[in-house]
Amino acid sequence: MSAKSTNSQVVVEKIPFYRNVKIIGALAQIAFVVVFLLIVAFMVTNVLSALRKANIPADFSFLGRRAGIPISESPIRYNSQTDTYARAFFVGVLNTLKVSLVGVVLASILGVIIGVMRLSSNWILKQIATVYVEIVRNTPLAVQIIFWSLAVLLTIPPRSLHPIKLLGGGLYSNLGLALPWLFPSYRFAAWLPWLIAALVLGIVVYGYRRRQIIKSELPGNPWPLAILAFVLASAISYFIVAGGSQVPEKLLTTINDKSGVVQSFYDANDNGSKDSDEKFLAHAKVDISLKEGRMTAFTQSLTESKKLIYSEFRFPPILPSEYSKATVSFIDEEAANAEGLKIHFYDEPNRGVVYKDLNSNGKFDRGEEVFDKDGKTTGYSAKLALDIEDFHRQVVTDRDGNARVPRFKHITDDTKKAVESGPSSLFGGPAATTNADIKELQFTVNPEKTGPLVLSKPSIPISQYSGGMSFSASYLGLLLALVIYTASFISELVRAGIMAVPKGQTEASKAVGLNGLQTFNLIVFPQALRIIMPPMISQFLNLTKNSSLGVLAGFAEIVVIANIIGNQTGANVPTNILIIGSYLTISFAFSIIMNIVNAKMAIVER
Amino acid sequence: MIPARKPPMATSGIGPWFRQNMFNNIGNSIISILAVAFVLLSMFNLFTWVFTEGHWEVVWKNMRLFGVYTYPTDLLWRPLLAAAMTMGLVGLSAGLAQHDEDGGEIMRGVFWWFFALVAFLAVLGLIFWESVRFWWLIVAIVNIGGYYLGKAVPQLSRRLIWIWAIGIIAVFVVIAGVLPADSNPESAMRFVKTKNWGGFMLTLIISAFGIIVSFPLGIALALGRKSKLPVLKYFSIGFIEIVRGAPLIAWLFIASVFVPLLLDQSPDKVPGLYRVLAAVTLFSAAYMAENVRGGLAAVPNGQTEAAQALGLSAWQNTRMIVLPQALRAVIPAIVGQSIGLFKDTSLVFVVGLFDIFNVHKIVATQPEVLLIPGGIRLELSLLLVAVYWYFSFRMSIASRQLEKQLGVGER
Repeated sequence: MSAKSTNSQVVVEKIPFYRNVKIIGALAQIAFVVVFLLIVAFMVTNVLSALRKANIPADFSFLGRRAGIPISESPIRYNSQTDTYARAFFVGVLNTLKVSLVGVVLASILGVIIGVMRLSSNWILKQIATVYVEIVRNTPLAVQIIFWSLAVLLTIPPRSLHPIKLLGGGLYSNLGLALPWLFPSYRFAAWLPWLIAALVLGIVVYGYRRRQIIKSELPGNPWPLAILAFVLASAISYFIVAGGSQVPEKLLTTINDKSGVVQSFYDANDNGSKDSDEKFLAHAKVDISLKEGRMTAFTQSLTESKKLIYSEFRFPPILPSEYSKATVSFIDEEAANAEGLKIHFYDEPNRGVVYKDLNSNGKFDRGEEVFDKDGKTTGYSAKLALDIEDFHRQVVTDRDGNARVPRFKHITDDTKKAVESGPSSLFGGPAATTNADIKELQFTVNPEKTGPLVLSKPSIPISQYSGGMSFSASYLGLLLALVIYTASFISELVRAGIMAVPKGQTEASKAVGLNGLQTFNLIVFPQALRIIMPPMISQFLNLTKNSSLGVLAGFAEIVVIANIIGNQTGANVPTNILIIGSYLTISFAFSIIMNIVNAKMAIVER
Repeated sequence: MIPARKPPMATSGIGPWFRQNMFNNIGNSIISILAVAFVLLSMFNLFTWVFTEGHWEVVWKNMRLFGVYTYPTDLLWRPLLAAAMTMGLVGLSAGLAQHDEDGGEIMRGVFWWFFALVAFLAVLGLIFWESVRFWWLIVAIVNIGGYYLGKAVPQLSRRLIWIWAIGIIAVFVVIAGVLPADSNPESAMRFVKTKNWGGFMLTLIISAFGIIVSFPLGIALALGRKSKLPVLKYFSIGFIEIVRGAPLIAWLFIASVFVPLLLDQSPDKVPGLYRVLAAVTLFSAAYMAENVRGGLAAVPNGQTEAAQALGLSAWQNTRMIVLPQALRAVIPAIVGQSIGLFKDTSLVFVVGLFDIFNVHKIVATQPEVLLIPGGIRLELSLLLVAVYWYFSFRMSIASRQLEKQLGVGER
């Protein structure tokens, strides 16, 4: 032992310093550092001098300034007039997280389904899955985003005045998707302590059951009882809170009868009207009623889902339950009669077509739509009125305390009669305005009693959604492309993971008497999950990073907002540093998750 | 006597095949019927739309934009000459690979796949494209000529790497030109500014440049990451992790802002192409490094120890023992990464370059296209899907075949 070490000692002394690995290594590193620093210094001086020359700001002071960037969708309250650039950028970060988190969940589900399909014994399912994976994986995500958002979602769905009604009250149109949603109302604060108590109860029950099960040495699961306790306790307390609640006296609601905007607010100084220092109140339920009112609309020819539609009129959608009587008529009845125009409803009273009964069979046939006299489809329209009686609707104000109802007008004898006779007022030209339009409507708005949570259903009063939770078409397009793209990679991971589980496992579980589903759920999938999880998390990270292509769909995520800020302020250098900083933070968070999962998934060896 | 049993069910033939693979129980039968209906319906809709409703004449009219963007019309033969040289080299390599025992079949498949495309374009050129009438035919002939040359003269394989090197330089010279434009504006070999490069040509140039240049950089970074010298090691780790931590699109934005600043030039003096190439190459190098690192980890320690026992220096050991084995193992991963880069070149729109993806935006916003109800985004995105897919799909198959052949993942 000692002889050896003296030997090596001798060898080291014999090596000249210029061949000593350690010295060479140290010198190489010093040289590298020197060269690296020189390059960095060269670059930094260049950048600084270029920045000075071009007068580009290089610090982050712009973040405190007012942004003035309109951002159409934001998970938090954002006001482009008053909020800062910092908040605008934060909205971008939140939007990135919003599309990524939802995308990760949906992509995992779709990926698992496709992966299992690829292993299915059913030939045709297997082929469908294979074709899906081979096409999607081998096409750039950018092309797919264009495909889904610009080619499919923006052209195929109907216009906003003709939405698809989904089950449960959801709406889908080219404005995007709007779903009924539960929001915490002003009563939520009263329920919150109860909710926390219910949670504590659930935890206590869980601990108690767990100890009981361990003691009894029988198989069992502590979760169902704990969840049941939590759900029961919170439900009972919900009804207690909801039952005792009254509409607070200071909660007031107003309506602007010209714009149809309903607002809810706290009347702090009791003067019965909204002052500038009084806060809007989010998610209040308001009952609106109107004795009688009128809406007007022009017939128009338009392209929808790549089809041309002629001479159609559309009023903001109103449900049959919301009125006692609704009639649609031509504003200029005489001129319409003279032309022989009739109305055919697709969806009375909201949507229909104006036609001439050419073959006089008493009903509308295709081809009888009213065309322009020279065969063109532009500039030809008839003005129609929808007169409504006893309209009432319950709306829930949004997080800014606003809600909208359709823009009604006052009905007088003036408006009931023809405005001016002759075809010029019937076809084309600006809508005739009368004094009647300006007179006040007799709306009554009353705040309604609500529980801690309030269900808000979407409607489309004036060219945008009111109420519910809405997702824009650009968000949906980006989400769809990201989910479909990432799912194709996840499905390959799932397939490989399932195939990597030894066949003996399946055979053994069959021998124990488990059926096919049990074998998959209890034996194969849990083992496959160990293999699938680590690469799956890096796919999640990829999805998050790929959401930066949101610019193609017009979705306001990190990169889009940072670039708008950069172009407005000229501070392109700091905004790019912000972009990289945010993504590195996200990547870092993912690698922490990855480490935790790897530690959990690692097979515990004895 | 034992009564005669029924004959077992037939297991071959069309009927039994359907019974086994699609109708083996009630659940599966229902699924099969629904799936077949779904496939037939979508196929029917797709084909009716493609053949009766699609406005393909707009796409057809803009083929030159998709191919080369605004490359001067009188010089169109130059990109095609470059294409001929490239395809000749591809053919030659595929032909030479036929003498190898392992790579031959894979290369043959790739070769015929791309030759089919070139031959198709040659026919289209002969019939429709007057300005480039015989050039596509020449590309096709050079392509297949290279293949049979390689098959006939196996000795060339020793010089293949040099032929490629010279070929790539020649391709670049032919596309870029040699004479300053102001000397003779009509000259056949005048410079063509990079802002006129575009279309699918640019897509291929960026992907090829990115993957070729990032290869040595990636190896250097991977070796650096494994190095015992802390400075090199942490520099490599920092570079790789920071670059991989943010998406390519962010780096492209950064390149478009920073590259002119770094060189202390005004932004319009540094063409967008150079900024893109810088960003794409460095980005690709970080991913390449991770691939190579995987290969390095796959080389058993015994190899290094044996090399040391033979008296090879550390550098000799790396160059002659470790790297050849490591790189061989990561060929499939590198092919996969090339596909990824090829797809990612669609992001260069952020710098304002007009690769085939960005050209589609020009076409979609042409005045006469805006009059078409609903626009032609669907037609354009289907064209892009077809183009990108044709290249990526065949390469991904090749990558899988290579993986199988090398036995990666089978140990």
